[in-house]
Amino acid sequence: MFEQFQFIPLHYNLILQGLQLTLEITLFGVFLGLAVGIILAVGDLYGNKFTKGILAVYVEFFRGSPLFIQLFLAEYTVPTITHIPIDPYITAFLVFGLNSAAYQKGYIKGAMETVYDDQMAAGLSTGMSRIQTLRHVIIPQALRIVIPSWTNEFCSLTKSSSVVAYVGLFDLVGAGREIIGQTYNVLPVWLFVGLIYLVWITGFTKVMDVIYDKKKIPGVDLLMQ
Amino acid sequence: MTDIVMEAKNVYKNYGKTEVVKNVSLQIRKGDIKLVFGPSGSGKSTFLRCMAMLTMPDKGEIYLGEECLTKPGVDLNKARARIGFVFQHIYLFRHLTAFGNVELALRQVLKLPKEQARERTLAALKEVKVFDCINKYPAQMSGGQAQRVGIARALARNPDIILLDEPTSALDPELTGEVIDTLRDLANEGTTMLIVSHEMPFAREVAEEMIFYDEGTILETGTPEHFFNAPDSDRAKKFMTRIIYKTTRE
Repeated sequence: MFEQFQFIPLHYNLILQGLQLTLEITLFGVFLGLAVGIILAVGDLYGNKFTKGILAVYVEFFRGSPLFIQLFLAEYTVPTITHIPIDPYITAFLVFGLNSAAYQKGYIKGAMETVYDDQMAAGLSTGMSRIQTLRHVIIPQALRIVIPSWTNEFCSLTKSSSVVAYVGLFDLVGAGREIIGQTYNVLPVWLFVGLIYLVWITGFTKVMDVIYDKKKIPGVDLLMQ
Repeated sequence: MTDIVMEAKNVYKNYGKTEVVKNVSLQIRKGDIKLVFGPSGSGKSTFLRCMAMLTMPDKGEIYLGEECLTKPGVDLNKARARIGFVFQHIYLFRHLTAFGNVELALRQVLKLPKEQARERTLAALKEVKVFDCINKYPAQMSGGQAQRVGIARALARNPDIILLDEPTSALDPELTGEVIDTLRDLANEGTTMLIVSHEMPFAREVAEEMIFYDEGTILETGTPEHFFNAPDSDRAKKFMTRIIYKTTRE
């Protein structure tokens, strides 16, 4: 049975190369998504009708269309229109980040709404501006609340990363395909690739659980029940 | 130079078609302690929020010293930094300890250096006797402790006036006592305060003027003795009778 897995030492370079891209794209995507998601959530809470309309179109586009089509459009259509070639790595990072932002905006806005009214009034009453209150009071609380949803988003984004093959990039699934092409050893390769995903996602989730417990605001879980 | 710290002139506020604040005018001078009382839902809290510009009045003027806060273009954040506000439901910042709650505005609004902000925070927490809660989060404190931290947060900036919106109504009688003691100390120190409250023994002890507020407007004003002995309006008489009966039973 173990000879079925001999491809691992033989092709570990391919596997590491693919894993590296998967991790880079997922981590970059989820953090860019967080930064943009916060801006979108604030815009959706405070913006005028026009801003909210633009944000709704953005969110519906990224949530309502498949990730690989977004990637495809960004890689092939945008450069055709703008005549500016874009590196596929940059395209993939940006599309993953902007796609994730559309989902994260919903989580962050929901979390902000649960703490918004009384905490904003309290912040303003001390002389802080709305922006200062958002920065020092509302967003820190919202981010703590949003950790479990954010972890789910991370898991989902990790598993979606294989679509980068559409723009010629080589992630963990791409590495699996390549090894199968060379060894015709289908099941063991996919089992191994699946195991790497499982270990990575489970490990990350456990770390986030610890962070959530450490950062949990005493009593807030009770207030939200 | 006038000694008027804060003034409301013909203030109105509507929510939809409901008039919540109707033509209310009020002057508070330095060192004044005025107590607003009246039935629930009569608009007292909305009026207090209008005074702090946490709710924008529809009509009328609010002055802080000589500055008209209702004029367009006024820096309301700067003005609010000169007003201390204590909420009925406390509203501490839930993710910060007692220390963090008091320190935040000192650092972000007054831009005090860290050490100076720390000293002022500790002094404010000591003043309201919650020094032992310094590292506790709001959910780890009793209601009385949390409300006193709320008072410390309002006090620490050395505001021109403190507005208190029913600071004891969410507390049981024992915890109410803790907060009343703190307010009594502030009164003895000459802090200018406008308090919405139904704590009649406290009002009798410290308030220079009581303001009976009903259906969105001031119906009657007078000294505590005036209200305890012979209010003019039937409405105030009825309300005082009930509230004194309730206080006596307690």
